[in-house]
Amino acid sequence: MSVLRRNNVFTFGRDGRPMIFAHGFGCDQNMWRFVYPAFENDFKVVLFDHVGAGGSDLTAYNSEKYASLGGYADDLIEIGRELRLRDAVFVGHSVSAMIGVLASLKEPQMFESLILVGPSPRYIDDEDYVGGFTREQIEELLSSLADNPMGWSAAMAPAIMGNPDRPELGDELTNSFCRTDPDIAKQFARATFMSDNRTDLPNVPVRSLILQCREDIIAAEVVGQYVLRHTPNSQLVILDATGHCPNLSAPEEVIAAIRAFV
Amino acid sequence: MSLQPDGRIVKSNMTLSNWVGFTQEELLGRKFHDLLNVAGRIFLETHFAPLLRMQGFFNEVALDFIAKDGATIPVLANANERRDPQGDLLFTRVAIFKAHDRRRYEREILAARTATEAATRELEALNASLEVRVRNAVEERLRVQESLTRERELAELREQFIAILGHDLRNPLAAFTGGIRMLRKEQLSAQGERVLDLLQGSVLRMSGLIDNVLDFARARLGGGIGLDIDDEAPLKSILDQVVGELRATAPDAVIDTDFSISRSVPCDRLRIGQLASNLLGNALTHGQRDRPITIGAVTENDALKLWVANGGQPISPTAMERLFQPFFRGEGRRPQEGLGLGLHIASEIAKAHGGTLMVESSETETRFTFQMPLAL
Repeated sequence: MSVLRRNNVFTFGRDGRPMIFAHGFGCDQNMWRFVYPAFENDFKVVLFDHVGAGGSDLTAYNSEKYASLGGYADDLIEIGRELRLRDAVFVGHSVSAMIGVLASLKEPQMFESLILVGPSPRYIDDEDYVGGFTREQIEELLSSLADNPMGWSAAMAPAIMGNPDRPELGDELTNSFCRTDPDIAKQFARATFMSDNRTDLPNVPVRSLILQCREDIIAAEVVGQYVLRHTPNSQLVILDATGHCPNLSAPEEVIAAIRAFV
Repeated sequence: MSLQPDGRIVKSNMTLSNWVGFTQEELLGRKFHDLLNVAGRIFLETHFAPLLRMQGFFNEVALDFIAKDGATIPVLANANERRDPQGDLLFTRVAIFKAHDRRRYEREILAARTATEAATRELEALNASLEVRVRNAVEERLRVQESLTRERELAELREQFIAILGHDLRNPLAAFTGGIRMLRKEQLSAQGERVLDLLQGSVLRMSGLIDNVLDFARARLGGGIGLDIDDEAPLKSILDQVVGELRATAPDAVIDTDFSISRSVPCDRLRIGQLASNLLGNALTHGQRDRPITIGAVTENDALKLWVANGGQPISPTAMERLFQPFFRGEGRRPQEGLGLGLHIASEIAKAHGGTLMVESSETETRFTFQMPLAL
């Protein structure tokens, strides 16, 4: 199984500087559909799905490897090596922001800069640190995943989960974006919401841009400010967009901010 | 309810107000996700908001509302975006269905499915181990059966061979007997007479061996020893004849007799003679030569009792166990003689007469006793 097949990797655009987009907890590379075309003319654009999401190879999922974000960071590095990426611009949404941070610590020469969209180094409050969620709330989320696979009504779930091998059905099927195997979703949620990467931020070896939405209940503005304070050579741009997914709700703003930074 | 592009509620109906306990005024300006529990908020932000943006709608999403009084209200939500011709979002309509029962059923279905999957996995594991065990057992059984069949074929061949050999040996032996009888009528030297005695003893012993071998083979092939019962002829004369023959083959041995047969005994006299001959032969082979051998027969208490006793070393307990098995031969107290069939045939003859052949052995004496019941 090649790395490129495993992570459903696509590359677009010219052989210029590489720009690699990573989706977060939730959907798949479709999250970038309104953003990446803007960079095709100037960059070699790389899209991929984390193992367990979208068109990735579900059989490659390994509970042990993907129990923490390090396993996902290793995959990112493997993709970079396979494509011989150097000095790449990494754009990571949500939990993938921290996956990019981990990868830059392990393989600094692969990255020129990190663009962190809605990053959070820790979702659970801790003494003076505000993550936005109490431990009880995250426990509630994880236990609710047990009997309600990701908010899909159970009757709906089999139709979505039942056809991972038939992508041709994907476009026809409503709700087919963001399809996830329930067991993998459960474990990815745990790896995401139990993570704590606060001590990694000061070691980031490349410059970074933080894109922060207003009224983001997943990664609040105070969290963005925390990332800014603890990450060397970083800058913060507050977007007008609200919610957690500006890449979908305000792609023009995201594109403009990235363009200004790179 | 209707949401403006930033997700705030601009319109909602009374029914929703009744469910969640907030007035329509209180709901105005709130965000949709404010009505949800934490898990629902996270799902909405990470999954359903993106889905709505990408395909313009979502259907049948299971969420939990939290009412003003804190109660949980399970619902299903459908949402549709309305956009202007330029593609900009005008508003989003959300239709909410109470789904208390449906969500409960779904949870039950899910629980049942989980249980079924666990049971299926367990069953598969059981089946797999069962298959292996059955396969092993069948293979083992086949192996045993095969070797058993081979063993049986070999045994049958051996017994056929013995039967044919025994039969073919009888003819030349009969010629010997005839020759000896003719020479008896000639005028011979004392030396010649002695040689003739020795020859006659050898013929007798050989004939006994052949009888045993044939009886054994016949018993194995044909199922048991056949009897020719005769209750008229006296038993004592055949016993005397057997003793006489054996005295002739072992002139230096002392054989005492003690016969007290007071009634007729229905039996195969030749067979009883063979039994006595085998027991005496055994005593001559294994007994101590300078001690007398006793053979006795008595009818009392409606039974015939026939015994042969000799002195010498006692039979060891291990030998005792296998004494009456075919081809068993004693532990080399003297050069091996015979095939080890004598005692086996004797015990078979005893059984065929509905009797028993027992042995007692001590430092003073080894005694074989044949006993058979007599009809009143």
